[in-house]
Amino acid sequence: MNTDLYAPFLEATRSVFQLMLDLSDIEDRPSDTFPDSDETLDIAIGVIGDLTGEVIYRFPVTTSVNIVNIMSGMEVDSVDEFVTSAIFEIANIISGNVLTTLSGNDLACDILPPVQRAGDDSKSYEIKMACCLSTSAGDVCLDIRLNPSKG
Amino acid sequence: MLWKDKYELGVPLIDTQHKELFQRVESFMQVLRSSASWEDKVQRVNETLEFMKGYVVEHFRDEEAYQASIGYPNWEEHKKIHTEMVNYVVQVSQEYEKSGFDQQLIQQFAGKLLAWLINHVASEDQRIATYAIEKGVAGNEH
Repeated sequence: MNTDLYAPFLEATRSVFQLMLDLSDIEDRPSDTFPDSDETLDIAIGVIGDLTGEVIYRFPVTTSVNIVNIMSGMEVDSVDEFVTSAIFEIANIISGNVLTTLSGNDLACDILPPVQRAGDDSKSYEIKMACCLSTSAGDVCLDIRLNPSKG
Repeated sequence: MLWKDKYELGVPLIDTQHKELFQRVESFMQVLRSSASWEDKVQRVNETLEFMKGYVVEHFRDEEAYQASIGYPNWEEHKKIHTEMVNYVVQVSQEYEKSGFDQQLIQQFAGKLLAWLINHVASEDQRIATYAIEKGVAGNEH
Protein backbone atom coordinates (compact mmCIF):
# COMPACT_ATOMS: atom_id res chain seq x y z
CA MET A 1 0.00 0.00 0.00
CA ASN A 2 2.81 2.39 0.91
CA THR A 3 4.49 2.11 -2.48
CA ASP A 4 1.14 2.55 -4.22
CA LEU A 5 0.55 5.92 -2.56
CA TYR A 6 4.04 7.34 -2.72
CA ALA A 7 4.08 7.31 -6.51
CA PRO A 8 0.70 9.06 -7.14
CA PHE A 9 1.53 11.89 -4.71
CA LEU A 10 4.95 12.48 -6.20
CA GLU A 11 3.62 12.22 -9.73
CA ALA A 12 0.73 14.63 -9.06
CA THR A 13 3.07 17.18 -7.47
CA ARG A 14 5.51 16.84 -10.31
CA SER A 15 2.80 17.25 -12.94
CA VAL A 16 1.12 20.26 -11.26
CA PHE A 17 4.47 22.01 -10.87
CA GLN A 18 5.29 21.35 -14.48
CA LEU A 19 1.93 22.48 -15.78
CA MET A 20 1.36 25.54 -13.60
CA LEU A 21 4.90 26.75 -12.99
CA ASP A 22 6.77 25.38 -15.99
CA LEU A 23 9.17 23.64 -13.64
CA SER A 24 10.72 20.55 -15.16
CA ASP A 25 13.80 20.20 -12.92
CA ILE A 26 11.93 18.21 -10.27
CA GLU A 27 13.76 15.52 -8.31
CA ASP A 28 13.06 13.37 -5.27
CA ARG A 29 15.12 14.20 -2.23
CA PRO A 30 15.50 12.73 1.26
CA SER A 31 12.88 14.02 3.68
CA ASP A 32 15.09 13.92 6.79
CA THR A 33 16.79 17.26 6.17
CA PHE A 34 13.61 19.24 5.74
CA PRO A 35 13.28 22.55 7.68
CA ASP A 36 11.36 22.80 11.00
CA SER A 37 7.72 23.77 10.85
CA ASP A 38 8.43 27.35 12.00
CA GLU A 39 10.14 27.93 8.65
CA THR A 40 7.43 26.32 6.57
CA LEU A 41 3.85 26.89 5.50
CA ASP A 42 2.15 23.66 6.61
CA ILE A 43 -1.15 22.82 4.99
CA ALA A 44 -3.29 19.91 6.13
CA ILE A 45 -5.75 18.34 3.73
CA GLY A 46 -8.11 15.83 5.31
CA VAL A 47 -8.93 12.65 3.40
CA ILE A 48 -12.16 10.67 3.87
CA GLY A 49 -13.54 7.57 2.20
CA ASP A 50 -11.71 4.29 1.56
CA LEU A 51 -8.68 5.98 3.08
CA THR A 52 -9.03 8.28 6.08
CA GLY A 53 -6.49 10.68 7.51
CA GLU A 54 -4.60 13.65 6.21
CA VAL A 55 -1.82 14.80 3.96
CA ILE A 56 0.41 17.60 5.21
CA TYR A 57 2.03 19.72 2.55
CA ARG A 58 5.10 21.49 3.87
CA PHE A 59 6.18 24.44 1.75
CA PRO A 60 9.22 26.34 3.05
CA VAL A 61 8.58 30.10 3.10
CA THR A 62 11.05 30.65 0.24
CA THR A 63 9.35 28.00 -1.90
CA SER A 64 5.90 29.52 -1.24
CA VAL A 65 7.07 32.98 -2.21
CA ASN A 66 8.91 31.73 -5.30
CA ILE A 67 5.86 29.77 -6.49
CA VAL A 68 3.56 32.77 -6.18
CA ASN A 69 6.11 35.00 -7.89
CA ILE A 70 6.20 32.58 -10.84
CA MET A 71 2.40 32.35 -11.03
CA SER A 72 1.63 36.02 -10.58
CA GLY A 73 4.63 37.54 -12.34
CA MET A 74 4.85 39.92 -9.40
CA GLU A 75 7.43 40.39 -6.68
CA VAL A 76 6.01 38.99 -3.47
CA ASP A 77 8.50 38.79 -0.61
CA SER A 78 6.66 37.29 2.34
CA VAL A 79 3.92 34.82 3.15
CA ASP A 80 0.64 36.67 3.68
CA GLU A 81 -3.04 35.85 3.05
CA PHE A 82 -2.60 36.10 -0.73
CA VAL A 83 0.37 33.70 -0.81
CA THR A 84 -1.15 31.30 1.70
CA SER A 85 -4.38 31.11 -0.28
CA ALA A 86 -2.57 30.46 -3.58
CA ILE A 87 -0.49 27.69 -1.97
CA PHE A 88 -3.66 26.23 -0.35
CA GLU A 89 -5.15 25.98 -3.83
CA ILE A 90 -2.04 24.26 -5.21
CA ALA A 91 -2.18 21.68 -2.40
CA ASN A 92 -5.87 21.26 -3.17
CA ILE A 93 -5.18 20.72 -6.89
CA ILE A 94 -2.41 18.16 -6.21
CA SER A 95 -4.65 16.26 -3.78
CA GLY A 96 -7.54 16.29 -6.25
CA ASN A 97 -5.28 14.82 -8.94
CA VAL A 98 -4.12 12.09 -6.56
CA LEU A 99 -7.72 11.14 -5.80
CA THR A 100 -8.42 10.83 -9.52
CA THR A 101 -5.47 8.42 -9.81
CA LEU A 102 -6.63 6.46 -6.76
CA SER A 103 -10.17 6.17 -8.11
CA GLY A 104 -8.65 4.37 -11.10
CA ASN A 105 -7.30 1.85 -8.54
CA ASP A 106 -10.79 1.40 -7.00
CA LEU A 107 -10.08 3.61 -3.99
CA ALA A 108 -12.90 6.11 -3.54
CA CYS A 109 -11.80 9.07 -1.43
CA ASP A 110 -12.72 12.70 -1.00
CA ILE A 111 -10.74 15.65 0.34
CA LEU A 112 -11.60 18.32 2.88
CA PRO A 113 -10.78 22.03 2.47
CA PRO A 114 -7.15 22.93 3.24
CA VAL A 115 -6.31 24.12 6.74
CA GLN A 116 -3.08 25.76 7.87
CA ARG A 117 -1.56 23.53 10.54
CA ALA A 118 1.12 20.91 11.15
CA GLY A 119 0.32 17.20 11.37
CA ASP A 120 -1.32 15.70 14.44
CA ASP A 121 1.34 13.37 15.88
CA SER A 122 -0.97 12.00 18.57
CA LYS A 123 -2.80 9.77 16.09
CA SER A 124 -1.44 6.55 14.67
CA TYR A 125 -1.58 5.70 10.99
CA GLU A 126 -1.08 2.47 9.13
CA ILE A 127 0.25 4.39 6.13
CA LYS A 128 2.74 7.00 7.24
CA MET A 129 5.39 8.32 4.91
CA ALA A 130 7.15 11.50 3.95
CA CYS A 131 8.40 12.36 0.53
CA CYS A 132 10.09 15.50 -0.73
CA LEU A 133 10.75 17.12 -4.03
CA SER A 134 13.47 19.50 -4.97
CA THR A 135 12.86 22.12 -7.68
CA SER A 136 14.44 25.36 -8.83
CA ALA A 137 11.61 27.18 -6.98
CA GLY A 138 12.61 25.38 -3.79
CA ASP A 139 11.72 22.18 -1.98
CA VAL A 140 8.34 20.85 -0.99
CA CYS A 141 7.59 17.97 1.33
CA LEU A 142 4.50 15.81 1.73
CA ASP A 143 3.69 13.97 4.92
CA ILE A 144 1.13 11.28 4.17
CA ARG A 145 -0.85 9.88 7.12
CA LEU A 146 -3.67 7.56 6.21
CA ASN A 147 -5.62 4.55 7.45
CA PRO A 148 -7.58 2.18 5.22
CA SER A 149 -11.25 2.34 6.26
CA LYS A 150 -12.57 -0.74 8.02
CA GLY A 151 -15.25 -2.86 6.46
CA MET B 1 1.82 38.89 -18.47
CA LEU B 2 0.06 35.91 -16.93
CA TRP B 3 -1.24 34.57 -20.22
CA LYS B 4 0.84 31.95 -22.03
CA ASP B 5 0.30 30.74 -25.57
CA LYS B 6 0.27 27.15 -24.36
CA TYR B 7 -3.13 27.90 -22.75
CA GLU B 8 -4.76 28.38 -26.16
CA LEU B 9 -7.48 25.93 -27.11
CA GLY B 10 -7.62 26.98 -30.74
CA VAL B 11 -11.21 28.17 -30.33
CA PRO B 12 -11.17 31.94 -31.04
CA LEU B 13 -14.14 32.91 -28.84
CA ILE B 14 -12.94 30.89 -25.84
CA ASP B 15 -9.31 31.95 -26.25
CA THR B 16 -10.31 35.62 -26.40
CA GLN B 17 -12.39 35.23 -23.25
CA HIS B 18 -9.57 33.41 -21.45
CA LYS B 19 -7.12 36.18 -22.37
CA GLU B 20 -9.58 38.78 -21.06
CA LEU B 21 -9.98 36.84 -17.81
CA PHE B 22 -6.23 36.55 -17.34
CA GLN B 23 -5.82 40.24 -18.04
CA ARG B 24 -8.53 41.18 -15.55
CA VAL B 25 -7.12 38.89 -12.87
CA GLU B 26 -3.67 40.36 -13.47
CA SER B 27 -4.81 43.95 -13.13
CA PHE B 28 -6.94 42.96 -10.13
CA MET B 29 -3.81 41.55 -8.44
CA GLN B 30 -1.74 44.57 -9.36
CA VAL B 31 -4.25 46.90 -7.74
CA LEU B 32 -4.58 44.64 -4.73
CA ARG B 33 -0.84 44.25 -4.21
CA SER B 34 0.11 47.89 -4.86
CA SER B 35 1.38 50.08 -2.04
CA ALA B 36 -1.69 52.36 -2.18
CA SER B 37 -3.89 52.53 0.88
CA TRP B 38 -6.80 50.10 1.13
CA GLU B 39 -9.26 53.01 0.95
CA ASP B 40 -7.77 53.98 -2.42
CA LYS B 41 -7.97 50.42 -3.73
CA VAL B 42 -11.50 49.58 -2.66
CA GLN B 43 -13.31 51.16 -5.59
CA ARG B 44 -11.21 49.40 -8.25
CA VAL B 45 -11.37 46.13 -6.36
CA ASN B 46 -15.17 46.43 -6.22
CA GLU B 47 -15.38 47.20 -9.94
CA THR B 48 -13.24 44.17 -10.82
CA LEU B 49 -15.31 41.94 -8.58
CA GLU B 50 -18.50 43.10 -10.28
CA PHE B 51 -16.94 42.47 -13.70
CA MET B 52 -15.73 39.03 -12.66
CA LYS B 53 -19.14 37.99 -11.38
CA GLY B 54 -20.73 38.77 -14.73
CA TYR B 55 -17.92 37.81 -17.09
CA VAL B 56 -17.10 34.48 -15.47
CA VAL B 57 -20.72 33.36 -15.81
CA GLU B 58 -20.86 34.52 -19.44
CA HIS B 59 -17.58 32.80 -20.30
CA PHE B 60 -18.54 29.54 -18.59
CA ARG B 61 -21.85 29.54 -20.50
CA ASP B 62 -20.06 30.02 -23.84
CA GLU B 63 -17.47 27.37 -23.01
CA GLU B 64 -20.20 24.89 -22.02
CA ALA B 65 -22.03 25.63 -25.29
CA TYR B 66 -18.82 24.86 -27.18
CA GLN B 67 -18.44 21.57 -25.30
CA ALA B 68 -22.01 20.66 -26.26
CA SER B 69 -21.38 21.59 -29.92
CA ILE B 70 -18.48 19.12 -30.19
CA GLY B 71 -20.06 16.41 -28.03
CA TYR B 72 -17.44 16.66 -25.29
CA PRO B 73 -18.12 13.63 -23.06
CA ASN B 74 -16.91 15.14 -19.76
CA TRP B 75 -19.14 18.22 -19.99
CA GLU B 76 -21.11 17.32 -16.87
CA GLU B 77 -18.00 17.10 -14.70
CA HIS B 78 -16.65 20.31 -16.25
CA LYS B 79 -19.93 22.13 -15.64
CA LYS B 80 -19.80 21.06 -11.98
CA ILE B 81 -16.35 22.69 -11.63
CA HIS B 82 -17.71 25.88 -13.23
CA THR B 83 -20.73 25.92 -10.92
CA GLU B 84 -18.54 25.47 -7.85
CA MET B 85 -16.37 28.41 -8.93
CA VAL B 86 -19.36 30.67 -9.62
CA ASN B 87 -20.77 29.78 -6.19
CA TYR B 88 -17.41 30.54 -4.61
CA VAL B 89 -17.20 33.97 -6.30
CA VAL B 90 -20.76 34.81 -5.22
CA GLN B 91 -20.10 33.60 -1.67
CA VAL B 92 -16.88 35.63 -1.31
CA SER B 93 -18.58 38.65 -2.80
CA GLN B 94 -21.42 38.44 -0.29
CA GLU B 95 -19.03 37.92 2.65
CA TYR B 96 -16.91 40.82 1.39
CA GLU B 97 -19.85 43.22 1.33
CA LYS B 98 -21.10 41.97 4.67
CA SER B 99 -17.66 42.47 6.23
CA GLY B 100 -17.52 46.08 5.06
CA PHE B 101 -14.95 45.40 2.30
CA ASP B 102 -12.45 43.41 4.32
CA GLN B 103 -9.01 43.43 2.68
CA GLN B 104 -7.86 40.08 4.10
CA LEU B 105 -10.81 38.29 2.53
CA ILE B 106 -10.06 39.73 -0.90
CA GLN B 107 -6.35 38.90 -0.66
CA GLN B 108 -7.35 35.28 0.01
CA PHE B 109 -9.79 35.37 -2.90
CA ALA B 110 -7.11 36.69 -5.27
CA GLY B 111 -4.62 33.99 -4.26
CA LYS B 112 -7.10 31.20 -4.87
CA LEU B 113 -8.38 32.76 -8.09
CA LEU B 114 -4.83 33.04 -9.49
CA ALA B 115 -3.95 29.38 -8.88
CA TRP B 116 -7.41 28.12 -9.84
CA LEU B 117 -7.51 29.99 -13.15
CA ILE B 118 -4.04 28.86 -14.24
CA ASN B 119 -4.77 25.24 -13.40
CA HIS B 120 -8.25 25.25 -14.90
CA VAL B 121 -7.24 26.74 -18.24
CA ALA B 122 -3.91 24.88 -18.48
CA SER B 123 -5.32 21.52 -17.42
CA GLU B 124 -9.13 21.07 -17.49
CA ASP B 125 -9.77 23.23 -20.55
CA GLN B 126 -6.89 21.68 -22.48
CA ARG B 127 -8.71 18.34 -22.26
CA ILE B 128 -11.50 19.86 -24.35
CA ALA B 129 -8.99 20.89 -27.02
CA THR B 130 -7.32 17.46 -26.94
CA TYR B 131 -10.71 15.77 -27.39
CA ALA B 132 -11.64 18.08 -30.30
CA ILE B 133 -8.37 17.32 -32.09
CA GLU B 134 -8.59 13.55 -31.46
CA LYS B 135 -12.19 13.40 -32.72
CA GLY B 136 -11.47 15.66 -35.65
CA VAL B 137 -14.06 18.23 -34.54
CA ALA B 138 -11.64 21.07 -33.82
CA GLY B 139 -12.85 24.22 -35.55
CA ASN B 140 -16.50 23.06 -35.51
CA GLU B 141 -17.62 25.72 -33.06
CA HIS B 142 -20.61 27.88 -33.93
